[in-house]
Amino acid sequence: MDRFVDLAVSAVLLAGLYATMAYGLGLIYGVLRVVNLAHGGVIMAGAYLGWILHGWLGLDPYLAIPLVVGVTFLLGVLTYRVLVRHLPRGAAGGPASLLLLFGVWLVLRNAAYLLFSGNDQTIRTAYSTRAIPLLGSYVSVNRLAVLAIAVVTPAALQLLLKRTYLGRAIRAVAQNADSCTLVGIDVERIYTITFGLGTALAGLAGLLSATIFSFNPGFGSGELLKSFVVVVLGGLGSVFGTGIAALVLAVVEVFAILVLPSYLTAAVGFVMLVLVLVFRPGGLFGQRVLG
Amino acid sequence: MKFAWPPIVPRWALAAFVLVVAALAVAPAALDLSIYSKNLVTLAFLMISGALAWNWMGGFVGQVSFGHAALFGVGGFVAARLMIMEPPAPAPLAWLVGGIAAGIFSLGAHPMLRLRGPYFSIATIGVGEAARLLFTYWEDFTGGSSGLSLPIDVEMKDRLYFWGLGLAALVVAASFLIRRSTLGLQLLAIKADVDAAADVGVNATFYQDLVFALSAVVVGITGGLYAAYFSFIEPGDMFGFDRSIAFVLMSVIGGVGTVLGPVLGAIVFVLLRQFLLASYPQLYLGLYGLLLIFIILFEPLGLTGLALRLARAVRRRARREPRESLA
Repeated sequence: MDRFVDLAVSAVLLAGLYATMAYGLGLIYGVLRVVNLAHGGVIMAGAYLGWILHGWLGLDPYLAIPLVVGVTFLLGVLTYRVLVRHLPRGAAGGPASLLLLFGVWLVLRNAAYLLFSGNDQTIRTAYSTRAIPLLGSYVSVNRLAVLAIAVVTPAALQLLLKRTYLGRAIRAVAQNADSCTLVGIDVERIYTITFGLGTALAGLAGLLSATIFSFNPGFGSGELLKSFVVVVLGGLGSVFGTGIAALVLAVVEVFAILVLPSYLTAAVGFVMLVLVLVFRPGGLFGQRVLG
Repeated sequence: MKFAWPPIVPRWALAAFVLVVAALAVAPAALDLSIYSKNLVTLAFLMISGALAWNWMGGFVGQVSFGHAALFGVGGFVAARLMIMEPPAPAPLAWLVGGIAAGIFSLGAHPMLRLRGPYFSIATIGVGEAARLLFTYWEDFTGGSSGLSLPIDVEMKDRLYFWGLGLAALVVAASFLIRRSTLGLQLLAIKADVDAAADVGVNATFYQDLVFALSAVVVGITGGLYAAYFSFIEPGDMFGFDRSIAFVLMSVIGGVGTVLGPVLGAIVFVLLRQFLLASYPQLYLGLYGLLLIFIILFEPLGLTGLALRLARAVRRRARREPRESLA
């Protein structure tokens, strides 16, 4: 029973991280209909940014959030303006945009190898190993903080999308870009900002992962696939759905430890991805992601 | 009955094909190739076969797979197992069985084939990575992360050149035939719009299964030859994501959906890889990334597109010149 509670608690904590990773991918796909394969690369970049700021300037990773988010936002804006803008959008641009953004990922990975070598790195703070008792088990302070941010982020995102002019414009563009041009919304500007926002969310997720896991330039490929599982499972446009989907993935992954050798638990996410795509392409809550 | 020349293969193409294959067959003896260059050409033959087979799916049907390494790995390990058992199976038989095993493995992907565009691609990443983890874990079969060593057979390396050439020639011929036949047209229709293709009577599901299985068999056989070529294979390399990406890159560099494109792409890929790994191993990934970005942005048909553009420019100039001489 104790073990069950332990696993349940760690699943909830992990779910927060997965949800944060998935928001960015879902946002970009929802508005631009582009699968951002560079997502994993940006997660890795976010982790290294946090590591540099902590190692060189002694900045606490949680205080580094605005900086990391800002830098990855600019990275996203740049990627969109220089590269993605020139692609055909929609179904025609599918394979092309996949390959292009995969190229961006390879470049990011290579840059990280050149700058930081292939060694595993970690961000260690004074509170990295501290834990507090909760529900009869001990919970790492770090993981709690990550969960808190993972709850605040979607709330802020939801506010932005529902309450501001910019958010309304983003949602309008997602529904019908052509009509937006007619009513005077600068669609290109909205695309640029959305791509920047999605990339910034990936950077944030990377920074948060870096406080928990070790990372190297190859970091991010598993994270990309997990984000994809969450987006497909949760359906688009639903922050709530994304949260539930993240929880489902985390629970399945964590409890797989009970029945599978630990080496194979990583495969659970991949298998789930394929099963979800094949059997529930509309997501758990019926909002269609496809088509 | 008079023999009618099949209209789908122009005579000049057949003549060029026979000429190139014959030249390559006598090249090692005639040019006295060093072992190094002979091995490099053998590797190019294998990659040409793999790239073309990937292109049947990625180029002809338009389903971009990021998971072909799984097929390559299954074929390679089944063949390797057959070659090291006691008594060892004859190598060609082992390769063939490996290819068939990969073909059977690919039929498991049947439910995925109704996914279109990016969804199919993402699902193949999932299958590829899951296969890598499972086969690395299955030590009794693949030897785990320490891999399998095959008995080193010096003569085998020598013969592999010709086996590779034969395989590559067969696959080039098959690609050409598929492209020019009714089947090729039906695949093109599926690529353009799967629903519309089904409306006019193309059995999209069947043809996708068929082409995917054929592609898997060829990639599986390639994996078996590759295992014999290196005499040592391990799941991390055979099933690795980089391997899947190599198949994609070769076709994209050369020109997706064409026949000569993947051939050119594979040759460039093998040479570039050899050069980069020797001189700039630290830039190897990024250069491929940059190459991908440039090709997608400026010349989506890769080297083939570049060649076509050049040909058009030359023709235009040839047409303009007489007029200028008049003026």
